[in-house]
Amino acid sequence: MARLLVQLKLRLLLNALRSSTAAQTSFIVSTFFAFILAVGGFFVLTLFRGSSASVDLTTVVFTVFAVGWLVLPIMSFGLDGTLDPATLALYPLRTRPLAVGLLAASATGAWPLANLIALLGVTVGLARGGLGVLVAIVAVVLQVLFCITLARLVITSMARMLRSRRGRDLAAFLVIPIFAVYEFAIQVIPRVAAQGGITAASFRGVDSWLRWLPPGLAAHAIQDASSGRPGTAVARLALLAAIIVALGWLWIRSLSRALVTVDTSTQSAKVRRAAALPLARYGLLGAVTARFWIYQRREPTSLVYWVITAVIMVVVSISSIVGHQRHPGIVIASAVFGAAFVGYFHANTVGMTGPPFITEALALTSRRSLKAYFSGQNIALSVIAAPLLTGMCFALAAAVRQPSEGVTATAVALAGIGAALCLSNLFTVALPYPMALRAGSPMRQAAQGYTSYALGGVLGSLAGVAVLVTPVILAGVFTSADLPAVRIPVLLVCSAAYGVVLAWAGVQIAATAAGGRLPELSQVAVRSTT
Amino acid sequence: MGELAIEVRGLRKSFGTKDAVAGIDLDIAAGSLAGLVGPNGAGKTTSLSMMTGLLRPDAGRILINGLDVWADPVAAKAIIGVVTAEARMFERLSGEEMLEYAGRLHGLAAAEARTRVAQLLDVLDLAADAKRLVADYSTGMRKKTALGCALIHNPSVLFLDEPLEGVDPISADVIRRLLTRLASSGSTVLFSSHVMELVEQVCDHVSIIDKGTIVATGTTDQVRGGKTLQQAFIDLVGPRTTDEEGLTWLGSSSS
Repeated sequence: MARLLVQLKLRLLLNALRSSTAAQTSFIVSTFFAFILAVGGFFVLTLFRGSSASVDLTTVVFTVFAVGWLVLPIMSFGLDGTLDPATLALYPLRTRPLAVGLLAASATGAWPLANLIALLGVTVGLARGGLGVLVAIVAVVLQVLFCITLARLVITSMARMLRSRRGRDLAAFLVIPIFAVYEFAIQVIPRVAAQGGITAASFRGVDSWLRWLPPGLAAHAIQDASSGRPGTAVARLALLAAIIVALGWLWIRSLSRALVTVDTSTQSAKVRRAAALPLARYGLLGAVTARFWIYQRREPTSLVYWVITAVIMVVVSISSIVGHQRHPGIVIASAVFGAAFVGYFHANTVGMTGPPFITEALALTSRRSLKAYFSGQNIALSVIAAPLLTGMCFALAAAVRQPSEGVTATAVALAGIGAALCLSNLFTVALPYPMALRAGSPMRQAAQGYTSYALGGVLGSLAGVAVLVTPVILAGVFTSADLPAVRIPVLLVCSAAYGVVLAWAGVQIAATAAGGRLPELSQVAVRSTT
Repeated sequence: MGELAIEVRGLRKSFGTKDAVAGIDLDIAAGSLAGLVGPNGAGKTTSLSMMTGLLRPDAGRILINGLDVWADPVAAKAIIGVVTAEARMFERLSGEEMLEYAGRLHGLAAAEARTRVAQLLDVLDLAADAKRLVADYSTGMRKKTALGCALIHNPSVLFLDEPLEGVDPISADVIRRLLTRLASSGSTVLFSSHVMELVEQVCDHVSIIDKGTIVATGTTDQVRGGKTLQQAFIDLVGPRTTDEEGLTWLGSSSS
């Protein structure tokens, strides 16, 4: 069974690779990053050799990898193409061999392999002597196994919840705290470390409790074996193995339930508002705006995106909020990031809309109607984005005790929203990609083979917004000494106007380009899941 | 044959090396209720997608009421209605909002759209569920809503892909009656299906498509030639396998 499922996974990877050039590019990019992780991780772990705190640092690295396994499949670009247990429910398979097979399939692929290679850096960094190296290899294998089992358990448990629409809506909100913690970890810790706030010694305290978690057990087993305590090392590894078996058992139970639990259809309440579509007076533009506006309220993903935008803005400024150092311009950076993510989250409207886009595509034929379509989306988004980002800018400026920066940051945010909407319209037409809902994830992600498109959307949006708001930043900096009563209104109004002009330009270009690409956009929509 | 509502010439589409549609010609007279039948993978959905401007053909020409779908998409799309196979709609709109949105997209005035929505909900037997989200609709309700969306602007040509797939008999009857009524009022309906009984019952024109080509087309009586449509279809398309002697292990329950 294990062999069969591993072959199936490899076949799926290969078929995805054969399907299109885009898929091939994505595969190569993904493999390249996996390679970087493997080499980089290995190298970092070898650096710990000779450090007095090498075991503490190794523990932290192991824990970070475990958290990554837990979070990344839910969060981001679908690094692991999971085999959905539901598709296997039809076959007369015993749960236990099926579980082993699914585990083996999960361990197949570039990322799990990269993970294994990276962690093997401990054979140089931490292990001493033949026994040390041997224990290190076993510990690393167990650690990877632990990560996979834990991730499977969480995903299968979530899959049960995700069967009903209500459950899916609820689960989408789980993404927010996970995202907040993850962002905090990758943004703040390296920065504080670079400022000398974190040294090897600061892990001593952390290690005193991390060492009892499974990743800590693996790291300390290597240390014990290297310092002549093979008994303790074996005991720790045995405990780790027992934890893995326990998790595996829980997973098998959860899996066998998941395979036979019926779809609990949602008995939904009715939409309360009695009136029909709002904004009816304003023709096609009004109808499209109303549709996007309703979706901003009713679709949990939209709400999640707004909260994540706010979280990103906080995270960018956090080192100035909690640290002692002041970074001039940090709130402006927050504004740029906030605006850029508003753009990125809507840079694939057609894929996000999915098959219902066909209804719109059939009616959107003239350049005029396409302009109404893009404008409607931009109006609905900016009605939320402008107050949200303004509020965030002033709140962050107050939090970093530089209230005057709030004005410049707000100006940048207003121009940035225009730039972001302009870019999102252009990306929607130029770089559309299908979205898919993977098993165990509440959020839709770029379909297999289109990860690089999503990555392009993020980087393109960030770079584009940063370049387009540069004039506003310069204007803000050069006028900072001018009379505030004149400067503030002029700066804000001019920036907002600049943003509107950018968004307007985006609509014009996107509408013209989309006119010739509607069939292609429709095909992307049809291949997406909703 | 009267005036042509749908005129297809040399339509082709290939995906990679596979010819999904290998040059089809099709004439459907105005006011007819036409069926497009064929085995799975014969090219029905691909053909319909190209006829409705949703998939770019490699070659060929499609005229709807004399308007070229690919040369003048604006004018052509204004007079057609489409129901896709999956009938996917905006899940987070209520049925009522969805219908109104479709009407507004097609340029109806707000008041007119609302009047038509109310009437359609009534005829489609959806009035009681009008304020529920489409996300919570059953397959039959979805198909009916999708049909409502395709009809709201009173199209003169309606395309439907597998309109009765997965629909219960009661909803199916509602849909069938609506299609017959539309055709008798002078509009043209073309739908794909592999339910031969349905096609035989309601269609006055049938085309059989196999491996991307039209193998038979004409009035229902011409195509079936004295047999049932089911038999005519199997004779034309050919049984996929005749040799069943290989399956000696099947049915004995001995292993």
